[in-house]
Amino acid sequence: MSILFSGRVTSGASEHKIGIARRFVMFWVNHVRQAVASLGELWRTPSASILTIGVLGVSLTLPATLHLLVKNVQQVSDSFTQAAEISLFIKEGSSDTQIRSLQQILQADPAIARVSHISKQQALDEFAAVSGFGAALNYLTDNPLPDVLLVLPKNTQAASARELLARLSKERIVEFGKLDIDWLTRLDAIVSLLRQAVLVIAVLLLGAVLLIIGNTIRLSIMNKKDEIEVMKLVGATDAFIQRPFLYSGIWYGVFGGLLAFLIVEAMLWWLQSAIVSVTSLYDSDFSLQALSFVEFASLMALAMALGLGGSYLSVRRHITAIEPTGP
Amino acid sequence: MLEFADVSKSYPGGFVALDRVSFKLEKGEMAFLTGHSGAGKSTLLKLISLIERPSVGRVLINDVDLSRIRRAHIPYVRRDIGIIFQNHRLLMNHTVFDNVALPLVIEGFSGKDMVKRVHAALDKVGLLDKVRCLPHTLSGGEQQRVGIARAVVNKPPLLLADEPTGNLDPDLSKDIMRVFEAFNQVGVSVLVATHDLGLVARMKYRTLTLKQGKMINDGLLQYQEDPL
Repeated sequence: MSILFSGRVTSGASEHKIGIARRFVMFWVNHVRQAVASLGELWRTPSASILTIGVLGVSLTLPATLHLLVKNVQQVSDSFTQAAEISLFIKEGSSDTQIRSLQQILQADPAIARVSHISKQQALDEFAAVSGFGAALNYLTDNPLPDVLLVLPKNTQAASARELLARLSKERIVEFGKLDIDWLTRLDAIVSLLRQAVLVIAVLLLGAVLLIIGNTIRLSIMNKKDEIEVMKLVGATDAFIQRPFLYSGIWYGVFGGLLAFLIVEAMLWWLQSAIVSVTSLYDSDFSLQALSFVEFASLMALAMALGLGGSYLSVRRHITAIEPTGP
Repeated sequence: MLEFADVSKSYPGGFVALDRVSFKLEKGEMAFLTGHSGAGKSTLLKLISLIERPSVGRVLINDVDLSRIRRAHIPYVRRDIGIIFQNHRLLMNHTVFDNVALPLVIEGFSGKDMVKRVHAALDKVGLLDKVRCLPHTLSGGEQQRVGIARAVVNKPPLLLADEPTGNLDPDLSKDIMRVFEAFNQVGVSVLVATHDLGLVARMKYRTLTLKQGKMINDGLLQYQEDPL
């Protein structure tokens, strides 16, 4: 494109009447070439690059770790479905047939997963065995404990469990029902608090990443001030000058993301045995969740986006500001 | 080709660098621009290469008014002008080849076509054997010739040179001027700013002389005659 001299051939591409397909291929070839060139640029200044990548890696590690923490806590809270078990205490004097028919009715209820019956006698035996009052209980003339129906709702979320409780409490032979729901709501609240905290910390750290990359790119722009001036004097557009810096930003993102991934994996590997020994004490089937492929891909995408964004912010401001001062 | 119409340039603070300068450089013409330092030579070249804009008046290249060129289009204007700098302004950590190829890379050349043009440009300035060298291994005159090769590699119709012989001994200066003459002979308009009056007088080309921002002479300069 020549503004002053119409008809002057200036572009290497237009001179040969290259086809669209080939020009498309050349476009990508050029981009790959420039990407590799800016990788080489990072390679030439290893100490500065390693420092930046290290800072990025650590900054990205924290949100990734917190994300894993939330994910694993959630897994734990999901495994406590028993917490939403409803205990229905049966009125004194209800007959066995009444209890059995209620149990059958409840079993047919679509909202209920399982119903089990603990008879007075079973309850007393269990109490005697667990509480250690065995001998004292022998002095009781009759059994003070009621029959209990344990109902496990299909939907173990707090709100629906509470609804079910209200419905079941209205059954004729039910004295009252009890749902250990506070515990569940508390856990839910803690998990959501944790998630919010992770979000806030993640946003702060990602903001820091943006600034770090922006500053690194700013420094490398300043280092190349003379070069940029010369390029502008021989007719380079801002876009052309920007491109290598944007690629450097993306590379910082790639390496920072990979480093964060490796740190997280190493940390998991380190903690695995400790966590297994803790969970085995609780007889839990808990297993530590690592980053899934999708999460790894999003970590990398996020890191690259931050790299690109940080360098773009810096490049926009500083490359337009550098103007040649004289021939 | 190049026209200044009543161009003045004053800087904040009231310093007048150019005062109603008018001249016309025809297509294929070669001219010298002389004057003491501070006379306005650099300012004049800056106005042509759009580093600065005139305060008053118009600068036209090929009848296109440069005041109409938007900022985003400045790079495209500069591609039509080959500029040679006093201090070469080469990229010191790149080879001679990379330096000369830079304008072509910017314009999207690649492969054999680019190599052919770079070699042609280096051949014209007699440095084909230094293609793979780094600039700091070359002498001052050679570096200047690399700068010239870079300025002409995309065959611009207009060539500007700012003190191209500033740091060179007389023999080398003559060589450099021969190179400019050679380009002029194939139809390129050349404007050379220099304060080497002896050289200017010997070359017998049109000479524009600036003094304190005013054009005080336009024509041939006689040797030993100092109009300043």
